[in-house]
Amino acid sequence: MLKVEEYKHQAETCVRCSYCKFPDLNYIKSSRFSRQCPIDTRYKFNLFSAHGLLHTALAELDGKLTFTPQLMNALWQCTLCGGCDIRCKRNLDVEVLQVIETLRCRCVEQGQGPMPEHKRMAASVKKSHNIYGADPKDRLKWLTADIKPARKADILYFVGDPMSYRRPELAQATAKILEKAGAPFMLLPDEWSSGHELFATGQLKPAREVAEHNVAAIKASGARQVITSDAEAYKTLKVDYPRIMEKSTEDMPYTILHITEYIAGLLKDGKLKFNRRVPMKVTYHDPCNLGRLGEPWYHWEPKYEPPNIAVGKKWRRGYDGIYEPPREILRAIRGIEFIEMERVKDNAWCCGYGGGVGAAFPDFAMWTAGERIAEAMTTGVEAIVSCCPNCKDLLGAAAEPSGIKVYDITEIMLRAIR
Amino acid sequence: MSIPKEAYQTLQSIVGAEWVSDDPAICEADRYCSLSDPTDEKRRPGCSIEPATTAEVQAIVKLANRYKIPFVVTSTFYGAGTYCRKDDSILIDLKRMNQLEIDKDNMYAIVGPGVPFAALQADLLKMGLFTFVPGCGGQSSVVANTVNMGDAPLGWRHGLGYQRLLAVEWVLPDGDILKMGSQSMSDDYFWGEGPGPDLRGLLRGCAGHQSRMGIITRIGVKVFPFVSEALQPEGWAYHTFMNLPPNRFKWYNIRFPSRKEAIDAIYELGRCEIALVVMTVPPIFRGVARSRGVGCGGFWEYWKEASGKLNRKQEDLRVLLYGIGSDKRLEYEEKVLLDIVKEYDGSAREAPCRDETNFMAADAICANVVGGRFASEVSYESISQAVTYARVVDKICDEHRPPILQEYNTTDWVCPYELGYIAKMECLRMAAVEDNYALQEWKKEVEAACAEKGAYALVPDNKVFGPVWGNYPEKEDAIRAAFDPNHISNPE
Repeated sequence: MLKVEEYKHQAETCVRCSYCKFPDLNYIKSSRFSRQCPIDTRYKFNLFSAHGLLHTALAELDGKLTFTPQLMNALWQCTLCGGCDIRCKRNLDVEVLQVIETLRCRCVEQGQGPMPEHKRMAASVKKSHNIYGADPKDRLKWLTADIKPARKADILYFVGDPMSYRRPELAQATAKILEKAGAPFMLLPDEWSSGHELFATGQLKPAREVAEHNVAAIKASGARQVITSDAEAYKTLKVDYPRIMEKSTEDMPYTILHITEYIAGLLKDGKLKFNRRVPMKVTYHDPCNLGRLGEPWYHWEPKYEPPNIAVGKKWRRGYDGIYEPPREILRAIRGIEFIEMERVKDNAWCCGYGGGVGAAFPDFAMWTAGERIAEAMTTGVEAIVSCCPNCKDLLGAAAEPSGIKVYDITEIMLRAIR
Repeated sequence: MSIPKEAYQTLQSIVGAEWVSDDPAICEADRYCSLSDPTDEKRRPGCSIEPATTAEVQAIVKLANRYKIPFVVTSTFYGAGTYCRKDDSILIDLKRMNQLEIDKDNMYAIVGPGVPFAALQADLLKMGLFTFVPGCGGQSSVVANTVNMGDAPLGWRHGLGYQRLLAVEWVLPDGDILKMGSQSMSDDYFWGEGPGPDLRGLLRGCAGHQSRMGIITRIGVKVFPFVSEALQPEGWAYHTFMNLPPNRFKWYNIRFPSRKEAIDAIYELGRCEIALVVMTVPPIFRGVARSRGVGCGGFWEYWKEASGKLNRKQEDLRVLLYGIGSDKRLEYEEKVLLDIVKEYDGSAREAPCRDETNFMAADAICANVVGGRFASEVSYESISQAVTYARVVDKICDEHRPPILQEYNTTDWVCPYELGYIAKMECLRMAAVEDNYALQEWKKEVEAACAEKGAYALVPDNKVFGPVWGNYPEKEDAIRAAFDPNHISNPE
């Protein structure tokens, strides 16, 4: 959460050029898919855009505006996908996404937010350390007899809530891939929710608690590397934990890798080969939390020199996320015909789930996913591959009428190395 | 006060409840758009409404007349003055009117006001056609920009935007619909000219009509043939560009000993009818281009070093050659260009064959990286007027409160269009965000001084004034009054 002075400065720097609503203009390939921001594309009113939210943030700060019903709609239907943020940074030095996140925090502080579904998640995390309210004893239920985590290993597999409780087959796939890659891994004896939804919905107090717990547990495990196949957990451990602890990613007592980074590294070093054909025509959907939001976090205490020089600040401009490893993997699998969609990498359209939207606004989330499916259909593929269990679920539901299948990349990798 | 309840309910019935709102946050977000003058008091609209059809626009405007409620129109919201100056206005946002049809064979497009240039350009490029993205950016509205001046560096060869305006569908301030050009005879947008006087001149001009003459709901716009090869984008968001086919395009950066030689060379380029883009390059533009991805701090790091080495007399020119129709044409243009450069003592250096800011992005907004805000004085006239005006503005600037950036060669940008027949002079001044108000006050001082000296000037509300403009402002007011008897179409 930005401090008030910095929050105001960032919001004031917006010049309302509307660039935040578009993919990088040089990359636009058709009028049909020429938009970037889901809320802007669906609702059109300027409030439903980054510049609209930045302007209303100022008005709210100045006491000229309260959290009206439509401001609540715009603020909480934003998927926090970050497209606006890196687009703006082409031309200006503005932390667009941090202003929107801070506006959410202010809304929570004033008792106006978050949405009831988000509050329920926080209550579940408090009670049972996962967002679903499931029995914490069931966290390791995904483990099958043929998967043998080590008691002690350099690699720690952070599973995350969705794969622990809702998508056990993806956790199993991840574990089996690690085993086949000859990478012994351990699990946390008491993994808690990553807290991704808590951070996204401005519930910082419980978010800090889970961060402190998980960081201490990772430290105690002695692991040198944390690997996850959950894009949301990846971003949370890489970005949100250091951020709330006022540190940089590099200062954390662990390094975090997405499974695709790890496997792509092995492929490059010749230590792993995909030995089975997977005949399939696929496209790849970049999860926001792995791509433009997956850049390392750099802690910075605001310090300016005139006219607007942020002294010593390292900017996150969207290029340092995880874009290539999943593509390298797909290209390395025999039989895969890989075709890109129009909006890819830092220009990718959000699946619609992020920012707590999937839980609180399922209809809008489904509309957003439907837009992505429409884009995928223009490529003529039979399947979409992604790296996030929530992307898979939402896109999968939206894709049902089209007949397009949606896979997590771990499922494809496992088929290729069996 | 607010919009009368009965009127609001009627608005809901016109567009559907989902597309009109008097929620304070929605209205607050529509309070002002980009480039609006911070010293001008901007009012929160009484409601914002998003019509989808011309019939809906017409019904809204008729209702506004019935209740005498002021209305202001906007679309892609990157505008130059379309914000509410009166309490409880209706803000009509045309983003939903995004109809786009391209007639490839006859090389024109029919566009609604919600279509941004980048969307049109993307579809055109796939068909081997193209249009000119204006300097303000590909996110701006095709309709709004075309019925305005339509300023784009690509206008050197094919003309400014207003030259491309064909048939027009226009909801007048009283709610009547006027169809111009071939629209007046049939549902056809191919011809700009039609029976009777051509009223497009009422819309066009340097600052356009600023939504004070009603609402343009659809236009036909001329497009041009282009290379069939796809332009390949490259780079990450903070610095992207499109690779141009090297057999058909060449960029040259040319340095002349002084502005005089550069201007003479521009005239010669026009006489020889070559090149797609010709523009002078103020040193600050180079600084901005080099600070891609490194922000304000990176700009100043570059600038502190570069400004000390500047030769203030020299003038840089940037020229894009385009082999229209064939590779041979490119070879010919290159020979002619290099001859001209030699004749006027310039030195030419070929630049990478790629485009960052002309075909799609054209993001003039990047100039804000210098400090956060900029203000600019703009004139459109002949090249000689641009040069003279630049001198006047520079002198006046020296006599007034200095802008934050002083230490560079020329502060003014001369951009010739239409093979040198017309030119823009834009004088940019930068400031920090917190100095924006002072910057605009300074701008007004400069404008007033320009007007006193008989130079071109635009006052707030984008009205031209000054002795050189005779009685134009009065006549313009009279025309507006005739079209808008209730004085409700974006009133001052």
